[in-house]
Amino acid sequence: MRITAEAKSATRLRILQAATSLFVSDGWQNTTTRGIAVAAGIATGTLFNYFPTKEAIAAALVAEAMERAGEEFRAGRREEVSLEADLFSLIWSGLRHLREFRKFLAPASDTIFSPLARQSPDSPGDAIRVDHLELVEAIVTSHGFSAPRPAVTVQLYWTLYLGVFAYWAADDSPGQEDTLALLDQSLKLFVASLGIDQGRGTYGRQSQ
Amino acid sequence: MDVNLSELMAALPDDDLSSTANAAWAQEQLREILADLAQRPAPAGSLHRLWTLSELSAQIALAYLALWIRRWFSDAEASKRRLMETNLRVALKTFHRLGYLRGAMTKLGQAAGNLPGILPGQVADTLDRLHFEAPPMHYALIREVVRNEFGKESEELFLSFEKEAFAAASVGQVHRARLKSGERVAVKIQYPGIARTIDADFRNLSALVLPLRLGKDWESVKAQFEEVRRMLNQEVDYLQEAESQRLARELFRPEDGIVVPRAYPEYSGKRVLTTDYVQGLHLQDYLATNPTQASRNAFGTKIYISWMRMYYAFMPYVDPHPGNYLFLSDGSLGLIDFGCVQHYGPEERELVRMADKMAYEDPSIIPEVVQRACGVSANDPELEGYVRMMEESLDWMMEPVRQPGAFDFGDEAHFQRGVDWFSRVVRKRHLRAHPMYVYWNRSVFGFKALLYRLRAQVDVHAVVRQERPGW
Ligand SMILES: Nc1ncnc2c1ncn2[C@@H]1O[C@H](COP(=O)(O)OP(=O)(O)O)[C@@H](O)[C@H]1O
Ligand SMILES: [Mg+2]
Repeated sequence: MRITAEAKSATRLRILQAATSLFVSDGWQNTTTRGIAVAAGIATGTLFNYFPTKEAIAAALVAEAMERAGEEFRAGRREEVSLEADLFSLIWSGLRHLREFRKFLAPASDTIFSPLARQSPDSPGDAIRVDHLELVEAIVTSHGFSAPRPAVTVQLYWTLYLGVFAYWAADDSPGQEDTLALLDQSLKLFVASLGIDQGRGTYGRQSQ
Repeated sequence: MDVNLSELMAALPDDDLSSTANAAWAQEQLREILADLAQRPAPAGSLHRLWTLSELSAQIALAYLALWIRRWFSDAEASKRRLMETNLRVALKTFHRLGYLRGAMTKLGQAAGNLPGILPGQVADTLDRLHFEAPPMHYALIREVVRNEFGKESEELFLSFEKEAFAAASVGQVHRARLKSGERVAVKIQYPGIARTIDADFRNLSALVLPLRLGKDWESVKAQFEEVRRMLNQEVDYLQEAESQRLARELFRPEDGIVVPRAYPEYSGKRVLTTDYVQGLHLQDYLATNPTQASRNAFGTKIYISWMRMYYAFMPYVDPHPGNYLFLSDGSLGLIDFGCVQHYGPEERELVRMADKMAYEDPSIIPEVVQRACGVSANDPELEGYVRMMEESLDWMMEPVRQPGAFDFGDEAHFQRGVDWFSRVVRKRHLRAHPMYVYWNRSVFGFKALLYRLRAQVDVHAVVRQERPGW
């Protein structure tokens, strides 16, 4: 039996929607692929044709949100902005698009992302990582820091990114302001590691 | 500036503490902490640079901490030492780990008034520097802070918004913008999370230190500590600042030549404060124009008037920092930054009235005022010492009033007498006081330091005649 591409993507969408509401209502730990299949009105076996694990479902949700964020970032990008501000916009926009998934991403992020920037093709979030790091590469390069970069630079970025991500997922401060601060400080560290000082903060420090 | 910790420690009261092992230990710990902090390089752009204060400010704060500790240890009973030592150890560790807590400590240092044994010029400069230093924010971050506060983009909220800050604030930065109704405004934006961080760390430290019950003045010291915490929290709440600013603005008339910019509550929140932009020079830029003596006197008089007016309105301006005054080209004085304004309740108002009567009408009530203001009872053997301290303070405060004609605040000897007075107070450990005086001392010293730097001559009689209410 042939299934049209249209029907396929409709099913996929149903699975993602059912999974989202279960993750949100029952929590990450308590949700099973079986439960998701029931909620989506399909057989568990059918679900496995789409996603092998619930981690893969979460990864798909994240990937889509990140894709939208990437588009938003490209559309809103302005030339005169510093590298630090550019990366900040990209990452924060990603987190903003993920806001509705925040609660279950805290426990899920451990299993969907590998902490290693390379050599982790098996983790469900692998494609997200590859795409994200590619975009970051392009942004860094566009600010005049030519590739190739030492592997450790990329690893530093990814470590900081995952740290911010995990912190954000569990951040109960108003408007996640603590994550804003952490992201800002993490990016300062990262940019400093590239060996450049963008020379900000020169305005009247003496006057308060 | 070449003041270092050892000099500051040397300037602190030299008492019998060297005999107690704990005090020596605490001092040693502090030295180690300081040495460690001093050793760490602060590479540009790294996390280390965040939350740092100038080394001097940190040293001053540490010296005050040392002073406090030495005082506690001298008074404590031996049985409590072990507990104290443990708690203190943790407190010191916390203090060490959280570099920006030096900011809070700095505020304590400021609140304690001024430094003994340092030249007036240095004191005046130091008052400039005692501030938190939040890292600068790029516009991408600013947008998010604005969005958090108003649920809107800065582009939607304002007609225009300058992406680069034009001035630093103690926990944030200030941007020029224009409202849709056309007004040019200054928008002060706070670094995210800083207010809650300061509060949490201050609480933690209080929790460690406050239950210690060290010494006979402990209750008073505790109340003063709490007052600092309360004021710090007020200072980082920009909505409260907007309200203080509104109240202050009502105190001045156009003929005063004192401008308090309007605050816009609808464009303000806890972390964002929008006020009318005031075009003017800061003290140092004004002085760089080589102003005439007459001009300096006129500004000095306005500073004096603004200070008295707010004091008598029971909302003293306790942060007379040079950055908070703007010198306008038409001769008006711009008064900004109402984060650090106290609002006196009935108890404090009564003390103000009594102190005023004591200063201007009836010095015989000094002992009575001392009992009320310092919580020293009539039969306390220390009463006499406190009374003498009050008499000396009064002498210094009233010097400009007692002398006929204009008083020259550029007189270094006058300023020095105040510094000497304070160092005597510290040395004699006359530190019991109503919490309102913690900030009052800072206010007086800051205000006199400002007039000193301005080298202004002010006809204080005339100001007093005009401003003193006829209660
Ligand atoms: N309304 C204003 N008009 C002009 N400059 C302002 C205004 N508000 C703030 N500034 C500038 O920003 C600096 C810091 O603002 P301030 O309110 O004093 O911050 P903080 O409370 O952190 O000390 C001031 O010294 C001044 O240079
Ligand atoms: Mg100020």
